Amino acid sequence: MTETAVHLEGVSKKYPHFSLEDIHLQLPAGGILGFIGANGAGKSTTIRILMGLVRADRGTVRLMGEPMPERQDVARRDVGFASEDMRLYGPGTLRWHMEFVRSIYPGWDPSYADLLLRRFDLHAEQKIKGLSHGQRVKASLLLMLARRPRLLVLDEPTTGLDPVARQEVLGELMEVLADERRTIFFSSQNTLDVEQISDQIAFIDRGRIVDRGDKESFLDRWRRMRIDVPPGVVLPSLPGIVATAGSGRLSVITTSSYDPAMAAAYQHAGATVHAVDPMTLEEIFVANVMSRREGKVA
Amino acid sequence: MNAHMIKHLVLKDWYFQRRPIAAYTAGGLLGLGVVALGTGWSFYAGTVLLITFMITIGIHLAIVTVVQERTEHTLPFLMTLPISPKEYTAAKVLANLSIFLVPWGLLTGGAALLLSSEGARSGALLPFATVALTYILASYVLVLAVAIVTESQGWTLCAMGVTNLFLQFFLYWVSHMPSIERGMKGRGAVWDPTVLALLGAELAAIAVLLGLAFVFQARKRDFL
Repeated sequence: MTETAVHLEGVSKKYPHFSLEDIHLQLPAGGILGFIGANGAGKSTTIRILMGLVRADRGTVRLMGEPMPERQDVARRDVGFASEDMRLYGPGTLRWHMEFVRSIYPGWDPSYADLLLRRFDLHAEQKIKGLSHGQRVKASLLLMLARRPRLLVLDEPTTGLDPVARQEVLGELMEVLADERRTIFFSSQNTLDVEQISDQIAFIDRGRIVDRGDKESFLDRWRRMRIDVPPGVVLPSLPGIVATAGSGRLSVITTSSYDPAMAAAYQHAGATVHAVDPMTLEEIFVANVMSRREGKVA
Repeated sequence: MNAHMIKHLVLKDWYFQRRPIAAYTAGGLLGLGVVALGTGWSFYAGTVLLITFMITIGIHLAIVTVVQERTEHTLPFLMTLPISPKEYTAAKVLANLSIFLVPWGLLTGGAALLLSSEGARSGALLPFATVALTYILASYVLVLAVAIVTESQGWTLCAMGVTNLFLQFFLYWVSHMPSIERGMKGRGAVWDPTVLALLGAELAAIAVLLGLAFVFQARKRDFL
């Protein structure tokens, strides 16, 4: 098995109004990376470069151990890709698409395909042009999953789905995760989705990776402290503070490297720490991006 | 080259285009039927129908099988299959040429049969008709090459407009070449060096256009 499924090193791509700068990302086989960014942050461009659909101006890209885009045809044999802007052939039925993909991939699993048809409540004889957006997304995922690729690259797969369809899709992805050999590279602007299935996180903003690490470490490190600061008390300057807000005596401090000693230091300075709250991935993402944009190091 | 993948992509285009192409071909055959009526007006009306349907088949194929892959967002589906850009180009060229050549061959063969009859002076018009219909084939290849390289509906329609506009001038120019003009007024098909040179130039243009499509495609950096 390839040790590193995804390898991006120093990847840059310049467009007239957008630049992807010096992207470094590695995803070992078996890992699940949630790639989070706002609209236009560079998620899709990064994924297109990874898949060989767009050529980087600089840097090294390897997919399933193969150099991209030179060996894209070989690398993509073991990669399933679905993106929000990918469409199937409207005049074709889902059955035709299933036969088409089956004819290309020897690993196509017909019983799993039938199972997915039932789980996703899809009808194989229905034409793609008659499907709703949610059904089209599920059809794309069926075509991708039933050939059992070792790496899944998903570019905003849940965008535009209603809550039920989104849960069905995420549920199926979680089933896939039961197979520890599978690797998933999952981009989204929906942090709730990423939080559910990822074990590693990377944040991208304005074409740059602003932070990355394992999910638990993010959730452990980031805290929001609510502190009562009496008049005349000056809070000590501590490392890892990314935002300070509040009014009057109440301060809300966001830190990217929480340590219980921080609370003790504030108490020692004369302040009262009322609460140390964990943060959701969305709050961490927003705080992280905003602090980077303001020039603070998170 | 991954012949297996190319074959499946070619079959895919055949599958989706079989009905519209059959309908257009039926229109072309109707044109031949009108020509076969054998009157002065039916010859011109039938010829216009025949040429119109042939050109329409080419436009339809280039727009639907190439340009719409991008505009309808089916290109990401194809380009994430285990295929290289060169194989994708080969599949598109093979699918398009094979699909176009079937109705083109059928209609050209039908026209040749009609023009070879005794009533049509035993093929006097056949060399001119062959040059004209081969021009349509070369025009189609130009439109296809532009579609593959640019993937742009605007540029493809522009190429189509230019080739169609030039068709009138081309037919006028060829029909007024002394040797061809003499042949058309005589009896029987005369395949003189002028006709053969024109056909050779058209076939060479087709080969060059296809080669250029591969060269430009190989230099592309982005496929989406």
